[in-house]
Amino acid sequence: MKSGSLGSYIARRLLQTIPVILGVVIVNFLLLQLAPGDLATVLAGEAGGAPKEYIDQLRARFGQDKPIYVQLFHYMKNLLVLDLGFSFRQSAPVLDLLLKRLWPTLLLMGATLVISLGLGILMGLLAALWVRTWKDHVISVAAIIVYATPLFWVGLMLVLVFSIWLDWFPTSGMENVVAFHEGWNRVVDIAHHLVLPTLTLSLFYLALYARLMRASMLEQRGLDYVTTARAKGQSDRKITTRHVFRNALLPVVTMAGVQTGGLLGGSVVVESIFAWPGLGQLAFQSLFARDYNLLLGIFFMSAVLVVIVNLIVDIIYVFLDPRIRIG
Amino acid sequence: MNRRFVLALALATTSLVSLPAMAQKSGGTMVQITQPEPPNLAPYISTSAPIGQVTAKIFDGLLEYGFDLKPKPSLAESFEVSADGKTMTFKLRKDVKFHDGKPFTSEDVQFSIMEVLKKNHPRGLATFRDVTAVETPDAHTAILRLSTPAPYILKALSSYESPMLPKHVYSQGDIKTHANANTPVGSGPFKFGEWRRGEFVRLDKNPTYWRAGLPYLDRLVVRFIADASTRTAALEKGEAHVAGLGAVPYNDAKKLAARPNIEVSTKGTEMISPIVELLFNTKVAPFDNAKVRQAISYAVDRKFVVENVWFGFGKPAQGIISSNFQPSGLFAAGVDFNVADRIERANKLLDEAGFPRKADGTRFEFTHDITPYGEEWQRFGETVQQNLAQIGIKVTLRYEDVAKWLKRVYTDYDYTMTSNFLFNLADPVLGVHRAVHSDRIRAGTVFVNGSRWSSPETDALMDKAAIEPNEAVRSKLYAELVQKVSEASPIAYVHEVLFPVVINKQFKNVIDTPLGIYGNFATVHRE
Repeated sequence: MKSGSLGSYIARRLLQTIPVILGVVIVNFLLLQLAPGDLATVLAGEAGGAPKEYIDQLRARFGQDKPIYVQLFHYMKNLLVLDLGFSFRQSAPVLDLLLKRLWPTLLLMGATLVISLGLGILMGLLAALWVRTWKDHVISVAAIIVYATPLFWVGLMLVLVFSIWLDWFPTSGMENVVAFHEGWNRVVDIAHHLVLPTLTLSLFYLALYARLMRASMLEQRGLDYVTTARAKGQSDRKITTRHVFRNALLPVVTMAGVQTGGLLGGSVVVESIFAWPGLGQLAFQSLFARDYNLLLGIFFMSAVLVVIVNLIVDIIYVFLDPRIRIG
Repeated sequence: MNRRFVLALALATTSLVSLPAMAQKSGGTMVQITQPEPPNLAPYISTSAPIGQVTAKIFDGLLEYGFDLKPKPSLAESFEVSADGKTMTFKLRKDVKFHDGKPFTSEDVQFSIMEVLKKNHPRGLATFRDVTAVETPDAHTAILRLSTPAPYILKALSSYESPMLPKHVYSQGDIKTHANANTPVGSGPFKFGEWRRGEFVRLDKNPTYWRAGLPYLDRLVVRFIADASTRTAALEKGEAHVAGLGAVPYNDAKKLAARPNIEVSTKGTEMISPIVELLFNTKVAPFDNAKVRQAISYAVDRKFVVENVWFGFGKPAQGIISSNFQPSGLFAAGVDFNVADRIERANKLLDEAGFPRKADGTRFEFTHDITPYGEEWQRFGETVQQNLAQIGIKVTLRYEDVAKWLKRVYTDYDYTMTSNFLFNLADPVLGVHRAVHSDRIRAGTVFVNGSRWSSPETDALMDKAAIEPNEAVRSKLYAELVQKVSEASPIAYVHEVLFPVVINKQFKNVIDTPLGIYGNFATVHRE
């Protein structure tokens, strides 16, 4: 595989995503129009009441007095130059708000991906090697229990046990706001705060990947190429690591790519429980406040994230299985 | 004729200055939880509840208030009102500096009231409606000229309600999208440090605060935690120290009160006076009939609601004006709906109104909308449902989100009966008139007269009370108003909420104004 072809592949794939993302934006824009109530009423409601002049003033300011197609046209036009508009409720440009919230979410998602994929693959591998022994049963049953437990309950229980009873971790937030650590201490502090949210979000996916990996390993082991390898006289160990493992990884990696969207959704719950300052919480708040500019911005950002992750997954395929060609 | 009512505040000033500043330990960081996160820090264009909890520490008002709602000096050392009530003269402090080092003068008062609050503040539009000009004869005198007397203005000058802004900062550019909307500059005890969205706002001690030796705290951090159980956990563990105004669920407040390190106070709603009520759509059957409305008001079991839904944080309401106005004499009780034979009375009223029980025991049915402010409101709706079943009314409950509910009740009037949460605020003119006056029947305006009931008599009473400077005469007018409104019952007032404020015991003097958590925290100190 030449690096040039990889470059042009990525460029082509990125081009293909543009209509996808535009479609997402248009559909979201129209869907949001269907929700009753608007930002002006919410703002006035929060204010505990306001004269009609104030509400009309607000509507005119938000451009909500114009027809929908005009609003959509303006939005699309601005999007071309990455101008995501202004959040009137938060009195700040949408792009600024999003970028500030992006890295906590990336940190949480990244940590979760590493932990859930790493541990999930390991557990699935072990379960497959120990298939039908008591160790396999322990892993499989544990995975099913975790898979079936609601996310918010796991989060609350972890807070109760590890934060309130054992006092090992803080209940919430991203860093200690009394001490305001700096330098390396700050990194350690953030990592300390990251443990519980990551664990909560990881458990579900860990279980999912473990089960998938186990099934995939067992399936691959029964295929003809394993028999061939064995006939060639290769050791069991080599067959497992060089052949079965690599092939078994493919469905897990695919699933990890597909689940990115779900991971973003799950982070709404986890970010709310642990007061983690990411995109998920922002989405939740802006939906209830009918802050459409901000919400559309978040949808846009999420769509871009999902597309990028899936592109990365497709590239990983090539390294895992040389038979798969890009193009 | 030109006799002036002079309210010398010198005494109060001395007592403030002579506070034993040395006795308190300075230093420390207090962590407050505010829920939800404020959308911005611009209290001059929005009165959204969480904004004031942060900005009241950053800005000063012309006045502060005692628990009896009597004014105390702040940026204004003293004030006087002319005999005709149309002139209010404020003498300002000379030693006040804004956080950027520039001095505070009468120009700033003129700008804040005329250019900002009167034009943009959701409640200021009404409060300062009759102010025609603010004159500035010298740098430390501001004179409000009014077209008619408006004594309630004197109750609306706290840092929470009417913050004084530095003209040299906020007059630059459009006030509605001002660059400092998220980085406020004021003259208060704490100055804005940093806002990390989704996490916290950090406020630092203002070392040049005009009250010497204050504030005691080095830092105040306001944290935002979306999940209620996590908020409770953070308070329990001592990661956060103060939370109020709905940040802690009522049942959790009760649980936390049992912890040795935590105290739960219900003071600090005297100037907010929230009332839980049922609002009737008086333009549609069957609630176009006053007897039906009264029947419902009798049927609601107020004691049960307070004890079991609000976990004891409240007391039954006796009229549309809160009992918090008792010290100022403006409180009066209306018809007593909280009587032992309330179910019999309700049944009798419904029979008289022409809604006899049908064969299946019911009289009629309707849909009851629930205020979308959380779980206790749902429980309240269910209680009402059961109470009304007792008198043969079948109720279906509907719970929507805030935007949808506001539109349904205050724009489309597409409801029959809804629960509602209305604040009386600092004066009946500000908080009570809006619910029953005919000039407040305005489609699209929220938290005004949503029942669309009014009468020329009650309108006249309110119009008189609004401009009456004599408190004794005002009391009488309001007593009559409360009685008349309770007879017509466009609103069934249920109970007055006492918001629990959860406070970590290592911090003292947290709630020292009738605005509670909207106070400026200058005198809060750590043990």
